[in-house]
Amino acid sequence: MRRVSGVFDKSYVQDMMIFRTKYYVGGIILLFLFFMIFPLFGSDFWLAFISTTAVTVIALQGLNILSGYCGQISIGHTAFMAVGAYTSTILAAQFGLPFWICMPIGGFGAGVVGLLFGLPSLRVKGYYLALTTIAAQYLIIYMIKTPFPEITGGAIALNVPEVTLGGFTLTTETHFYYLIMFMLIIMTFIAKSLMRGHYGRSFIAIRDNDIAAEAMGISLYKYKLLAFFMGCFYAGIAGSVWAAYARVISPDDFTLMNSIWYMGMMIIGGLGSTLGPFFGAIFIGMLREICVVCGPWITSIIPQLGAQISASLVEMTFGITIILFLVFEPRGISHRWEILKESYRLWPFSY
Amino acid sequence: MTTFIQLFVSGISVGLIYGLVAVGFVLIYKSSQIFNFAQGEMVMFGAFLMWTFLQPFGLPPLLAIILVLALVGVAGYSLERFPLRPMIGQPILATIMVTMGIGVFLKGLSLLIWSENIGIKFPTVIENRTFTILNIPFSNVTIGSFFFVLILVLLLSIFFNYSRMGLHMRAAAENHQLAQSMGIRVTKAIAQSWAIAAIVSTIGGFTLGYIRGIDFGLTEVGLIAISSALVGGLESFKGAILGGVIMGVAQTLTGGYIGYGLKEVVPFIIMVLVLIYKPYGLFGLVRIERV
Repeated sequence: MRRVSGVFDKSYVQDMMIFRTKYYVGGIILLFLFFMIFPLFGSDFWLAFISTTAVTVIALQGLNILSGYCGQISIGHTAFMAVGAYTSTILAAQFGLPFWICMPIGGFGAGVVGLLFGLPSLRVKGYYLALTTIAAQYLIIYMIKTPFPEITGGAIALNVPEVTLGGFTLTTETHFYYLIMFMLIIMTFIAKSLMRGHYGRSFIAIRDNDIAAEAMGISLYKYKLLAFFMGCFYAGIAGSVWAAYARVISPDDFTLMNSIWYMGMMIIGGLGSTLGPFFGAIFIGMLREICVVCGPWITSIIPQLGAQISASLVEMTFGITIILFLVFEPRGISHRWEILKESYRLWPFSY
Repeated sequence: MTTFIQLFVSGISVGLIYGLVAVGFVLIYKSSQIFNFAQGEMVMFGAFLMWTFLQPFGLPPLLAIILVLALVGVAGYSLERFPLRPMIGQPILATIMVTMGIGVFLKGLSLLIWSENIGIKFPTVIENRTFTILNIPFSNVTIGSFFFVLILVLLLSIFFNYSRMGLHMRAAAENHQLAQSMGIRVTKAIAQSWAIAAIVSTIGGFTLGYIRGIDFGLTEVGLIAISSALVGGLESFKGAILGGVIMGVAQTLTGGYIGYGLKEVVPFIIMVLVLIYKPYGLFGLVRIERV
């Protein structure tokens, strides 16, 4: 990695530091302050947009650990979100536990279920594993829908009890905005830290060649399952935060289509980089909003196109975007971002 | 007992169509080592396209079928050039997501065109009659589709074992570089296999749409077909057909005796069990990996 002129890394620790230069620290603080005061002037639409995107980013950080770093393809990520969401909601509704206990338990439950579906990863990989995760998607949603409808709300919907933190009830968009931003910062920091260290490097070794990694003394059994646990833990946390924010959850929020969207966001953002989930979620979120806005406008010009114009437009642009990114920039926006940073660091002497 | 046999027979007839779609899937896998996750969307798109040519355009059936198959074949052929050729040598995730992207696009496109056509059916070609053998009712559509699929599969396996084109495709599947050094054009082989797979899945969509009506739920067939191909082992046509039949029978039996919810997921349960105990399927080639 190239640094700004005059900054030299003398040790591995320095190379891996998050806050390496003072400009970087300054930029992060400015960004932080901007988002902290954003509710003062931002409209509810933008608050909701940022909150939704931030929840997506938390889930994507987990998918990034699992697929980006460890190379285990998962196309059932939203199902693990559903596990987290339903676990925490049921705990809160049936036993009246407070949110700050429910949320980690939801994450933990999702992690354990993830472990279960990660077990085939020890014997199969690649396509086969991807299909196992698709199976996980269907099986988990089935478990929510059918066997215990009186607890899980069945196929219809489940109301989430009000969230109170230390005697303070979260009601408005702004309250949830702060909660979600707090979780986002914490979870991103943990993900970044884990992936900088021993675990991250083991995961990368497994991703690049798992047989070679095993020969080098990395226990595939331990690390693949650990990756599944971590990835699904993140999904569970994201799911329970989402449940608290949305106030009502149903199995239709966690479909295979959503999982495909998540994987697409990872591809567009860039796999194996902490910034990737941010780029992917923001890019796709924006794209979706633009399509939803453009849909009625197109219908007003060409009225024959039918009522579902927005939905179909969203899907078509998403499909094309994924294909274009895979063909022209498989490493995603975060790779472009690195190139951009390097070019301005070296400017005006680009050699 | 009669219910059981009835369910069993209808399971076999649905399963054969799953098998047919799975054959299209195996075809692509054999020639390019790509998992086509857009198979279900191709089935749905083909069925809708066929309906459009038959009903609103009002073409005679034979002409419509030939036109649609040609159209779909050309589309499949050209798919290789744009999103798939850059994917050669890319990691597995890229190929998965490219085919999923194609699938999502096709789904959006069909939603755009046909979202108002709900509950449509193909015009009746064969009169639906039921006759009984040993007290077990059979419908002639079931028997007809059974033989239809059987003949198609037989033709496909002859094609792959004896024709020059089919052998080229198999060689391309084995190893791109080796095939190329033997003078086989790998890109052409892949394009041909996509064209054939598109045609086969359109035929599957037509048959399935004839039995149960055309709607957006036809995409579900794709994933079931993929799981039946996996159960049968990815390299084998007979495995794909057998896997499809297993899935179909399991679905109708669970649907008849237990409930609709389980019917939707039972293929995936079977697939996970097979993957855990016999990862390369019933007839699949076991691959040994070296560093």
